[in-house]
Amino acid sequence: MLRFARNGSVVGPGTSITARILLSAIMALALLVTGCARHDLLNDNELVQLWDDPPTLDPHLAADVPSALIVIEVFGGLVTLDTNLKVVPDLAEKWEASPDGKTYTFTLRRGTRFHNGKPVTADDVKWSFERAADPLTQSTTVDTYLGDIVGVKDKLRGEAAEVAGVKVIDDRTVSITIDSPKVYFLSKMTYPTAFVLDRENVAGKRDWTRSPNGTGPLKMKEYVPGFRVILERNDLYHLGAAKLDRVKLLLAGGTPMVMYENNEIHITGVGLEDLDRVVDPGSPLNKDLHRPPPNFQTSYIGFEVTRPPFDDMRFRQALAYSVNKEDIASKVLRGLVVPAWGVLPPGFPGYDPSLPKPVYDPDKARQLLAQSKYGADLKQLPRITLSIPGTLGSAVGPELQAVLAGWREVLGINIEIQQTEFGTFLQDLRSRRLQMFALAWISDYPDPQNFLDLLFDSRSMNNETHYANADVDRLLEMARTETVEATRFDMYHRAEAIIVDEAPWVPLWHQGQGYVLIKPRVKDYLLLPALVPKYRFVHIER
Amino acid sequence: MGRYIVRRLLWTPVLLLVVGFITFLLGQYGPGDPVQVLLGQYQDPEVVARIRAQRGLDEPVLVQYGIYLKNAARGDFGESFRYRGQSVVGLIRNRALVSGQLALTALVLSLVLGIPIGLLAALRQGRWQDAGIISVTLFFYSLPVFITAPFLLLVFVLWLRILPSQGWEGLFDSHIILPALVLGIPGVSFFARMSRNSIVEVLSQDYVRTAKAKGLPPSMVYAKHVLRNALIPVFTIAGLGLATLVTGAIVTETYFGIPGIGRLTIDAFRSRDYPVITALTLMIAVAYVLANLVVDIGYRLLDPRIRYD
Repeated sequence: MLRFARNGSVVGPGTSITARILLSAIMALALLVTGCARHDLLNDNELVQLWDDPPTLDPHLAADVPSALIVIEVFGGLVTLDTNLKVVPDLAEKWEASPDGKTYTFTLRRGTRFHNGKPVTADDVKWSFERAADPLTQSTTVDTYLGDIVGVKDKLRGEAAEVAGVKVIDDRTVSITIDSPKVYFLSKMTYPTAFVLDRENVAGKRDWTRSPNGTGPLKMKEYVPGFRVILERNDLYHLGAAKLDRVKLLLAGGTPMVMYENNEIHITGVGLEDLDRVVDPGSPLNKDLHRPPPNFQTSYIGFEVTRPPFDDMRFRQALAYSVNKEDIASKVLRGLVVPAWGVLPPGFPGYDPSLPKPVYDPDKARQLLAQSKYGADLKQLPRITLSIPGTLGSAVGPELQAVLAGWREVLGINIEIQQTEFGTFLQDLRSRRLQMFALAWISDYPDPQNFLDLLFDSRSMNNETHYANADVDRLLEMARTETVEATRFDMYHRAEAIIVDEAPWVPLWHQGQGYVLIKPRVKDYLLLPALVPKYRFVHIER
Repeated sequence: MGRYIVRRLLWTPVLLLVVGFITFLLGQYGPGDPVQVLLGQYQDPEVVARIRAQRGLDEPVLVQYGIYLKNAARGDFGESFRYRGQSVVGLIRNRALVSGQLALTALVLSLVLGIPIGLLAALRQGRWQDAGIISVTLFFYSLPVFITAPFLLLVFVLWLRILPSQGWEGLFDSHIILPALVLGIPGVSFFARMSRNSIVEVLSQDYVRTAKAKGLPPSMVYAKHVLRNALIPVFTIAGLGLATLVTGAIVTETYFGIPGIGRLTIDAFRSRDYPVITALTLMIAVAYVLANLVVDIGYRLLDPRIRYD
């Protein structure tokens, strides 16, 4: 048995071997557990968030939300978006458009500096556009965001050394010429592909994003891919320095709710599985609950309209009227999403609240089906497969199953689901091998052109459904150059109404985080649906 | 012996060349296209073609592999597809450091707890302590990570609230405790059972009886004659275990948000990050080849009866 020796030590000459061995094992464990003393995991003026591991922090390469949300805090461009999603000056203090609407002349703000104190010049602007358009940079976003600028496509094809449309006039003035007047051009300039980088920091170096020299409100203190990003306040920031000392983004994953409840992070989204206990007013978490607006995104089911059975408009419409979106959104998805009636998300520029809504109407759906080619005999219907992208056996969401169940009940149509690896899915989509598919479109810049023109103009490469309507094409083309906003948005409203009626898509929902928990000490954390630098507004109460 | 080692070492590059080529082929002919994944819904065929060409993906496979090997020989394993602009070497270096520290901690934990438990069982051979230890260690050895990890999280994070649930702050921080326990628990059981068996075997040896007969104090007998001999195979296996731990902690690393090799592996496969997949496969192959070599040589040194010639 364990005895205490007279000299005070636990182990004495008379201690048995069993006891000695047990003791040494216990001491080893004790040593391990002494590290357990709980320290305050949320430090004073540092915001900690769990974050999706960003594919890149190079502004010219960033093509996804987790990357872009970090990039916009560290870097900046000529213009940016304010919290009302209006285009406002950033590195440029003002700009003028030429009478023909094709040339923009930007004047740089006096005294703007990179994080290391170096002044930003017009040369930096030109070099940055040319770097983005350099084929060696391998940007996948440059065509979308900078493709309107004269000379960008030539540079991309390797046919020009410079981008002809970007001219340095003097140290503080730069002009940009685009191929035709486009009112949405300035919105595109807010995206990271148009950001200004420091040549000495970037050129020819791999891994440079681990110590970037940007112009944004926060500086990079540490970046280890797959591990974490630590950002620090940039005291030189020209639009007003941040109130936070630091922002720590954890990239290595984890269980967000556990981390939130264990005081390891300040902010988390809430999934379906935790929703009950969070929305319960008696729950201590309930006071932290916020409901952000949905993101600028639309989930939809698209039809390949050039192939049967979806070449029949009435058949498509029958499907559209037999989806009970309101019920699915509120009951299956518990209010995590907002039902989508049109293409544009609510709050998005050009959103039309008066758009006729194809609400759930089983009688009308059956009537439309009867009027379709297949109305007389449903057996004539080809076998229908809904394709969805997914890898590593990711589960088919309950909401899609509910949609399919609705079609079976209302119309008596059985549709199968097929899950395909994302790359293969996209190849099949482009080569028109898919009959119908579930996808989502996330806005790149806040302009209706980014949804309607790209997805439904019959000549657009992103027209996945191959939908073609001459009236829609004409309206979209006019809207591209119309400068009076009200007239322009009216054109988009008319185009959207035709599209929704002819149903190349069944818009399903607008998704976002749905429910978010924020620690009460965190103030002014804005829940915005677009890419807006926002950390500089946040502060943490002591 | 020397010739044996040289021969084994000379075969290693050939093995790696073959392993590398097979991985490379899987990338070429497996489902999906990394450029498509990269571009997402953006459908411009001109852009797809341009990016394919820029990455050399339109070259014949053998040419691509040749270029890859040439760069690899200079220590350049290319740039990640998933982490754009990041070198594969840089990514793996960061991750291997983390996995290495975690694996080492788990291994030390396994040995420090496992060997005393095994010793106790051996000394109480045939009694209730022995039976108890054998049963309990069998139980813990059989527990999968997806049982132990949530259980420990429940106890230490949600109930006791004394440990952080996930993340990584280095070797000397409380974040390492839970993942090290999860990785170490099967190890404790394994080494307890292994050292018990090994000690029991040594205890029945003549030289132990002789030592006891000479009147040596028991502590001397155990330290000098029993443990020293019994633990040699234990440590040899521990070396091999390290290779497995470094490369095989995929579930644990994912569960505890640890930026190690396991996480990198799963992410690389998920995003078809071929440069990283190929480099990781080669690295794991090297780790196993070397570990096996060390074990083989170790056995030879321990037991002169083994001949490889």
